[in-house]
Amino acid sequence: MSVVARKPGPPESAAGNAPHATATAARNFPLDTATLKHYLRQMVTLREFEHLGEREFKNGLIRGYYHSYAGQEAVGVGLVNALDLHRDYIVDHYRDHGHVLLSGVEPKLVYAELFGRRTGVSKGKGGSMHMYSPEHHFLGGDGIVGGGISIATGVGLALKQQKQDGICVCFFGDGALDTGTFHESMNLASLWQIPVVFICVNNMYSMGTSLERHSSLPRLVDRAQGYGVPTEQIDGQDVWATTAAAERIFRQVREQQRPYFIEALTYRYQGHGIHDKPLNYRSLEEETAWHARDPLKLLTDYLVQEKVLSHKQIEQLRTEVVASLEADVAEAKQAPEPDPEELLQDVTL
Amino acid sequence: MIIKKAMHEALNMALREEMIRDPRVVLLGEEIGPYNGVHYVTRGLFAEFGKDRVIDTPISEESFVGVGVGMAMMGQRPVVELMRMDFCLRAMDQIYNHMAKIRYMSGGRLSVPMVLRGPEGPGPNPGLTAQHGQQLTVLFAHCPGLRVVSPANQHDAKGMLKAAIRCDDPVVFLEPGPLNNKQGDVDDGDYLVPLDQAEIKHDGSDVTLIGYGASVSLCLQAARELERGGVSAEVVDMRSLRPLDMAPALASVAKTNRAVVVDYAWQSYGPAAEIVSRLMSDAFWDLESPVLRVAGKESPLPYAANLEELSKPNVEEVVAAAKQTLRN
Repeated sequence: MSVVARKPGPPESAAGNAPHATATAARNFPLDTATLKHYLRQMVTLREFEHLGEREFKNGLIRGYYHSYAGQEAVGVGLVNALDLHRDYIVDHYRDHGHVLLSGVEPKLVYAELFGRRTGVSKGKGGSMHMYSPEHHFLGGDGIVGGGISIATGVGLALKQQKQDGICVCFFGDGALDTGTFHESMNLASLWQIPVVFICVNNMYSMGTSLERHSSLPRLVDRAQGYGVPTEQIDGQDVWATTAAAERIFRQVREQQRPYFIEALTYRYQGHGIHDKPLNYRSLEEETAWHARDPLKLLTDYLVQEKVLSHKQIEQLRTEVVASLEADVAEAKQAPEPDPEELLQDVTL
Repeated sequence: MIIKKAMHEALNMALREEMIRDPRVVLLGEEIGPYNGVHYVTRGLFAEFGKDRVIDTPISEESFVGVGVGMAMMGQRPVVELMRMDFCLRAMDQIYNHMAKIRYMSGGRLSVPMVLRGPEGPGPNPGLTAQHGQQLTVLFAHCPGLRVVSPANQHDAKGMLKAAIRCDDPVVFLEPGPLNNKQGDVDDGDYLVPLDQAEIKHDGSDVTLIGYGASVSLCLQAARELERGGVSAEVVDMRSLRPLDMAPALASVAKTNRAVVVDYAWQSYGPAAEIVSRLMSDAFWDLESPVLRVAGKESPLPYAANLEELSKPNVEEVVAAAKQTLRN
């Protein structure tokens, strides 16, 4: 496979409203220091969770597929935190570790699921792509590209029929726009005025196929046109931008009971899965450009610059988080495997 | 009170009664509203219950089946109609990967109490041809996580559909197309027919004829024909393809020592093959003769009237197969 010539780094055509101007523009959205520190801890947790997960994958403790969330943290932190998960619901796709953690599931339960343990969030029967936690209103985890989009539409329809004031958000990747079900569901959601937010996490690659090789238009918001659904492209690297957009959009969807489409521009650091072959489909130059706008870096730079935290304090935070996650890994490793009789349980009632 | 009703009317009674009983029951499908359903199963329900309970969908099978899955996860009781069961092929990802598996993948923390229903097989009208009259039963019956049922008469159609709507598992409810307009006895009261129990539909002692859905009618007609020739045939209606309740068939074969399995589906790898396999493992020592199959011929459903008739299993073939088992 040859590396397709493309402009490295966050492409201007796909970057929407001045994503490079992060140091000033997005900061207009007020986030107090307590919130920012909380977000920092969450982003560090998500990043380090995957680092330890990757290590255990390489150790053979995690089998099958492993889709790392590393690099996309500002998307989840901004969007999931803006939900009210007492009344709102999430339908996710296979890159679900970050989102299930943000919905409130303890890391040790996610690790236990990854290790195939009885204590896992899906009792060890789902694995990486199939995290479910109904009490956190987290309805999966879905291994099929585009598979959750119509389900989220149904969840939104149920909320509407039950006269609940919740909304449903659905995460999927840029590749999902190439499936028929995305377009069918956009039509249904608009036709029936369903309070669902379709969130396309555009990390620039549909597996190993870059945006310009799989999408007829460079801006996915343009491909979501034609259904009467408002669309918006946001900077997914900047937690101020994701937070601001989420709070405004979710309020609107809740009030107007109408769907919305968000394209969040971001980048995954690992391959599609961490088992991927060498990433010969993208350039080092491009990776470097995106790393320069790393979501964690943007946040820590700001916190240091504003003297909210020092580099040393941030490093200390990371050390604490890693120690806590290591304890979670250790505990999950100790958890028992499912009983053999579990094989045939939960198939039907 | 027992009344005469067509099968589509019996199914309509079931839907209406359950919609009155349980406000969570919502219907989705193509042309089920003002059009009244292509096969009349939803006739009158849009007028009675309105657009929020009887939801006409665009021709987006994959997505409206998925909408049903999402609604069911949220505690609604969606009943999703496929205009023809053939159109399941457009929705197979939702059926196989979501509807059937979410309970398991979530470690039993979620359930999908929905019904996917529609007519299968060559009928009610002839000439449905290759893409609208298929008997794809085995696609569903192969998949753990689904319950797959098919009624053989009007009474069962109503009672089983009501039971399917009340079931907490996803149920694929296969309405035998050839029987859609056929009249029979239905109880107008509230009753349920179990989703996992086969039933003897006709007593006999010489040979066991086993079918489900529309093929039970062939078995019953064949039994009458055989009786005229002095052969007593017992007819077993499987009613459920997943799970399979083999007990009545095994008990029958213990008595008759002979069996013919009748199926509108293509013979190779079809439901009849599974039933024969179960008989081989669990009734081998009772058998006096090889178990035979009468099933759909291995062609797409042709258009020409003579070819269509040739492609389907028929009473004469069942009678001939039964007699063949008696030669041994």
